[in-house]
Amino acid sequence: MKHIVKIMVLLVAISACWIGLLQTSIIPRSHTWLLPIYLIISLGCYGLLMVGVGLMNFPTCPQEALLLHQDIDEAKEFLKRRGVDVGSD
Amino acid sequence: MELADRAVGFLLSLISISTFTYYTFWVIILPFVDSDHFVHQYFLPQEYAILVPVFAGVALLCFLCVFVGFVMLKSKKKKA
Repeated sequence: MKHIVKIMVLLVAISACWIGLLQTSIIPRSHTWLLPIYLIISLGCYGLLMVGVGLMNFPTCPQEALLLHQDIDEAKEFLKRRGVDVGSD
Repeated sequence: MELADRAVGFLLSLISISTFTYYTFWVIILPFVDSDHFVHQYFLPQEYAILVPVFAGVALLCFLCVFVGFVMLKSKKKKA
């Protein structure tokens, strides 16, 4: 709940800045109109970059997988000896 | 499998960084460059800076809607 308040405050501040720029027309109007689209584009680029970096550094632990498979085999063996049906394979 | 994921991640990062750089150049820096400078050859006119993202967004939204509808249809058929 607090996160959304933070995001809302940020959005309101950015739009206030933008409206101020639009009113005072320090820079030409056609360029001020481009800024929100620029913001959206940069947000999309940031999201894509984060996904790409997450995919690149995706943590895999093959040794842990091996240990887990050993554990599973051991448990299946144990259960089969006790007469519990654990299915084929 | 892992290498393919890494390649896809690298490609995504590259695409996002290059798009961001190009768009920043186009929107922020280009208005301050003289209009007869040679750099202007490599960029479309200023109004395309609005048109292209809006079209891309509309296309993305349409694709998302079609995808969601397709998935809903499929799940309904499976349930019946």
